[in-house]
Amino acid sequence: MQHGRDKTPTHWQRACHECDLLLTGRLAPPGQKLLCPRCNATLHRNAKNSIRYTAALSLTGLVLFIPTASLPLLHFSIFAFGAENTLVNGVLSLFDAGYIWLSTLVLFCSVLAPLGKFLLLAFICWGSGWAFLDRPVGAAVRWYQHLKEWGMLDVYMLGILVALIKMSDLGKMEVEPGLYCFVAMMLVANLTTLSFDPQAVWDRMGRRRERRLRAAGAGESS
Amino acid sequence: MNRPQRALQHGLATCLCCHQLVELPAGGRCQCPRCGARVHGRIDGSLMLTWALTITGALLLLPANILPVMTVIYLASGEPSTIISGVMQLYHAGLWGIALIVFVASIAVPVMKLVGLALLLVQIQFRLPLIPRQAMKLYRVVSGIGRWSLLDLFMISILVALVDMGAIAQVAAGPGSTAFATVVVVTMLAARSFDPRLIWDVYDQRQSVNTENDKKGVAGNG
Repeated sequence: MQHGRDKTPTHWQRACHECDLLLTGRLAPPGQKLLCPRCNATLHRNAKNSIRYTAALSLTGLVLFIPTASLPLLHFSIFAFGAENTLVNGVLSLFDAGYIWLSTLVLFCSVLAPLGKFLLLAFICWGSGWAFLDRPVGAAVRWYQHLKEWGMLDVYMLGILVALIKMSDLGKMEVEPGLYCFVAMMLVANLTTLSFDPQAVWDRMGRRRERRLRAAGAGESS
Repeated sequence: MNRPQRALQHGLATCLCCHQLVELPAGGRCQCPRCGARVHGRIDGSLMLTWALTITGALLLLPANILPVMTVIYLASGEPSTIISGVMQLYHAGLWGIALIVFVASIAVPVMKLVGLALLLVQIQFRLPLIPRQAMKLYRVVSGIGRWSLLDLFMISILVALVDMGAIAQVAAGPGSTAFATVVVVTMLAARSFDPRLIWDVYDQRQSVNTENDKKGVAGNG
């Protein structure tokens, strides 16, 4: 650190969101992470081709959601009696038994939040190409940040495994086709979370705004 | 030695939603020009809100563990089981791996979360000497593991739909599950409302007090 230079204003680019340290670096190089030198928080993870991958993955997730929600996941039978489990009928039976709050929470974390995440990401990635959608896309990114940690497909998957093993000595447990779709959807959901980088969306909008300003400036001067 | 520069001292703040660096107006809060989220130097009332939610969670942990969460009726016999007795049943049935998973997810994680949050809060509230790197590690663990405690509730919702054969076999949820669901949600919200930058505020304040004392000491000796 050179003395006498402290008076010149530094161009701070970013502050760590976990320790408030001011930094001059703004973005990570493609495919790498930017870590806070003081608290080691991940400041920015620059996924390659973030918008394209996320657009494709979120559409895949939406397509997979249809069989996952409609096909049965597990089949359980004792003697001649059997019952099936879909993503929603557990919620419905809890609701019928009067556990309204519990069933709402399960519905939200296992169905609504993952579906909402896919929908928002698809909207963000496909919508960020048009200028008139700037405002709703910004709002969607904000919503996505709030919704992010409430999608719990991986926890639900572990719940299925525990239920499978726990009940296996009571009766006959069979895996149904819906479960395979569910596993695929869970993997896609995790990949989507990894590939999405909001910074790429902001950059895309910023570049477009700049281009439009430059075009307007050129129009005035001519 | 140069002191690390922090955003709040420069009248800057980072948007917690899109990580844009924003200049704070006199009131100390504004809207993020990029994503429209509210920006403030530190989360409003973070300490008080986190205290309130942590205490609520700790109180709710009692009914969650005392009341039964689930009743498995097999051939017209069966009794309600609490979270702990459910783990014990799994252990006695020889499924110690599953027993360990359920124990970690539904007993260890909520307790660890509440203890961890209480530790952080006490350290900040009373401005105790703290090691910021350790505190940050604790904060990250606390905010990362919370969602896994919903495992037991997902399992209940799966079993309720799956094992529904009248007198032969039936699984019903119990009132403890509602309390437990609330514990999970409340602790997740508590981890969200906690602002890790407060850890560094306390640390920096102590550091500056220490260096001033050192200077005084040097001056006194000289």
